[in-house]
Amino acid sequence: MAGSALKRLMAEYKQLTLNPPEGIIAGPIDEENFFQWEALITGPEDTCFEGGVFPAQLTFPHDYPLSPPKMKFNCEMFHPNIYPDGRVCISILHAPGDDPMGYESSAERWSPVQSVEKILLSVVSMLAEPNDESAANVDAAKVWREDRDGFNKLAEKLVRKSLGLPQ
Amino acid sequence: MPMMFLDRMPLPRMKTYTMLSLMLLASAVFHAHQVTVQVLEEPESVFDSDRKNASNVTDSVEFQPSNTTDSVITFLGVMVDDPWCIWTLINMAYCCLILLGKGIQRLVFGDLRVSEQQHIKDKFWNFVFYKFIFVFGVMNVQYMNEMVLWCAWFSVLGFLHILVQLGKDRFEYLSFSPSTPRWTHIRMLSLLASILLTSLALLTLCTLVGLHAGLNTFAFMAAECVLLTVRTLYVIVRYSIHLWDFNKKGVWENRGSYMYYTELVFELAALSVDFCHHLHMLLWGNIFLSMASLVICMQLRYLFHEMQRRVKKHKNYLRVVHHMEANYPMASYDVIDSNIDDCAICWDKMEAARVLPCNHMFHNSCLRSWLEQDTSCPTCRTSLSDSRSSSSSQAEELTETVPDTPEATTPNRQQRNHFFHFDGSRYMPWLPSFSVEVTHTQLLGAEPQLQQSIQTSQLDSMARQVQSMFPHMPINVIMDDLRVTRSVEITIENILDERLLPAPSAQLSRTGSQPSETLSTQVSTSSSTDDSMIFYAGGDIADGAFLDNDEVLHSSLPDTNSAENVLESFGSRFSKCPTEREVILQKRKESLVQQARKKYMAKRHRQSNSGSECCQQGELQSTGSSSSSNQHMGEGDCESRRRNTLEQRRSAMYLAARQRLESQNGLS
Ligand SMILES: [Zn+2]
Ligand SMILES: [Zn+2]
Repeated sequence: MAGSALKRLMAEYKQLTLNPPEGIIAGPIDEENFFQWEALITGPEDTCFEGGVFPAQLTFPHDYPLSPPKMKFNCEMFHPNIYPDGRVCISILHAPGDDPMGYESSAERWSPVQSVEKILLSVVSMLAEPNDESAANVDAAKVWREDRDGFNKLAEKLVRKSLGLPQ
Repeated sequence: MPMMFLDRMPLPRMKTYTMLSLMLLASAVFHAHQVTVQVLEEPESVFDSDRKNASNVTDSVEFQPSNTTDSVITFLGVMVDDPWCIWTLINMAYCCLILLGKGIQRLVFGDLRVSEQQHIKDKFWNFVFYKFIFVFGVMNVQYMNEMVLWCAWFSVLGFLHILVQLGKDRFEYLSFSPSTPRWTHIRMLSLLASILLTSLALLTLCTLVGLHAGLNTFAFMAAECVLLTVRTLYVIVRYSIHLWDFNKKGVWENRGSYMYYTELVFELAALSVDFCHHLHMLLWGNIFLSMASLVICMQLRYLFHEMQRRVKKHKNYLRVVHHMEANYPMASYDVIDSNIDDCAICWDKMEAARVLPCNHMFHNSCLRSWLEQDTSCPTCRTSLSDSRSSSSSQAEELTETVPDTPEATTPNRQQRNHFFHFDGSRYMPWLPSFSVEVTHTQLLGAEPQLQQSIQTSQLDSMARQVQSMFPHMPINVIMDDLRVTRSVEITIENILDERLLPAPSAQLSRTGSQPSETLSTQVSTSSSTDDSMIFYAGGDIADGAFLDNDEVLHSSLPDTNSAENVLESFGSRFSKCPTEREVILQKRKESLVQQARKKYMAKRHRQSNSGSECCQQGELQSTGSSSSSNQHMGEGDCESRRRNTLEQRRSAMYLAARQRLESQNGLS
């Protein structure tokens, strides 16, 4: 299985290198293990995460692309759809079979035609527009709903942190 | 306890152990020699008692009453007979085995990874446990020499089992990497081949022993041997398939089924051999209602379940294959030729493909492995199960609510978190019908118009397909056109006939590079006047420093274009060498972060004093200077010396800048 996954990952890496989406970089950190990637995601413009560069880790299964990769932010994040430990909870990362939240129809779940690029773009749009209905981080969802200014301030802090700037 | 002992077995202890064993052996040899000398001097007393044990040796060797042969035989007799000597010998044998293992590990595997260590540890204790049960529970061994023989036999087998396990783990690990040196593969394969040969030799040995000791002993001995052979063969075959596939360009259409059947055959073979072996133990040993029987029953149950699971999986596989062959015909050559798309699952070229009812095409093997776990088209999510009739009736029902033109569906979409139903067959017979629960998954930076539009992965993939041919076209323009035309071909024609032009404000266009801005202006920065500081400031900030100079901050404002150039200069090539790829990736990441910092600082600055006119002048200067910072990395000694002085000045400015920034934040 790993052979075809490797080929596909190589193709995706190549495409992401030659034709990268704006503000997104992704690739294997150490090519000894091609199934472990790191991605940098720039916070989308005109949102509270604007300008931040957030590192995330992508772990691919052996039967990729039949199963989705797992994604986890390596930096501190405060977002309704990101678990406190950094795991990202969006529908595109869920295999059609499992449905931990019970909210999603299978149409927007993982399928082999999805790709790393699409995942990362979805994550960017998730940063832009949190979906507080299926919250992975209940606190963040609450702040997002009830105290938008407070949320923006926290996000600003994270942005500065991600850039290595003093608080 | 034993686990902890094994944990603490580093090399120095191995060394002392070897030394100790050698010393013990030497003393045993010395002891035996003494005894031999004694015996030869007075042959009547001791020699007779030794003869019984040494008879095997004496029988096989042509007995000649010469002095040396005599003494060797006596010596061997003493070695085997004396309890202390025999234990030293056994100990020495184990020491050799461990040393051999260490040697092979060094030669073939190098350092073991943590998971590999864990695996062999598990394997080892599992093996020891079951063989203990076997020797004492099932065989009920009474005699010392019998036990020693069984132990020796299982030690060798266990050793080989562990090596195979290690080989399997390492193979799986190596298959994660596209750039394993050929030499590593050769070493691995030759190790596996020699294990295979050894296991075959052991099998012959079983047969020889079995001729003397009977069928049961043969079966017991052979079972483990056959298991070993099967496992080794399995790893070798998988390895070869992997190597063959990876070194082959393009797709190997039958790879999937080869892989599948080797896996199936070998797994089932190993399971059934193991099952028979356990059953044999249970029935032969007369050990009902003992601990051993309980353990064996548990194992039997587990093996049975595994076999059942495997067979079930195979049935599913056959069902899928049958379903595929019955319902999805192979695409004709014309269709494949006219189809410029790659297979959406593996991204490889299509040479042969199956066509789904929704007209999407995939490789035979790709489609099969997907259908094993899901029953919808990967691209458009059309359900492929037999319940097509029900879904189409549902779609008909929904058409009443969906207006005729696709554009008119947008009002529906604007109410978020509602069901959205789309009946594609109204527009084109092959378009899917589906229903989507809408959540917010718009692409970033897309035009608002795009955000409201139908977002199917199909449209997206069509657009991508078009864009791959016309990289200068922004994806949103393509998407808009596709939404009207609903056909890749027509959109392509539109672009070719220039009916479709890239919009000037296209945000997603990533190809607008301005190569004219690659100025190298850092030449004049060696002087340390304030003027020149302004000049290189753009590049400076890019390295992550904060600057206290007003003009400097201005100058860093709007030079995203040039920074993009930097990115593109890295991104525009995909190196063949893995280490170079890693380096380039690292550089790209750094420059992204630097650019983001710069932007952030600029934004801050803009916020704090928004009415600035001198901005424009700084702009002009900076576009050139910042682009030079990354492109001229390390261009010689002169450059690096300059950089050093820069570094010092920068750190001084950094402190000042931080203070300034803090005060700014206080204001805004
Ligand atoms: Zn394929
Ligand atoms: Zn389809």
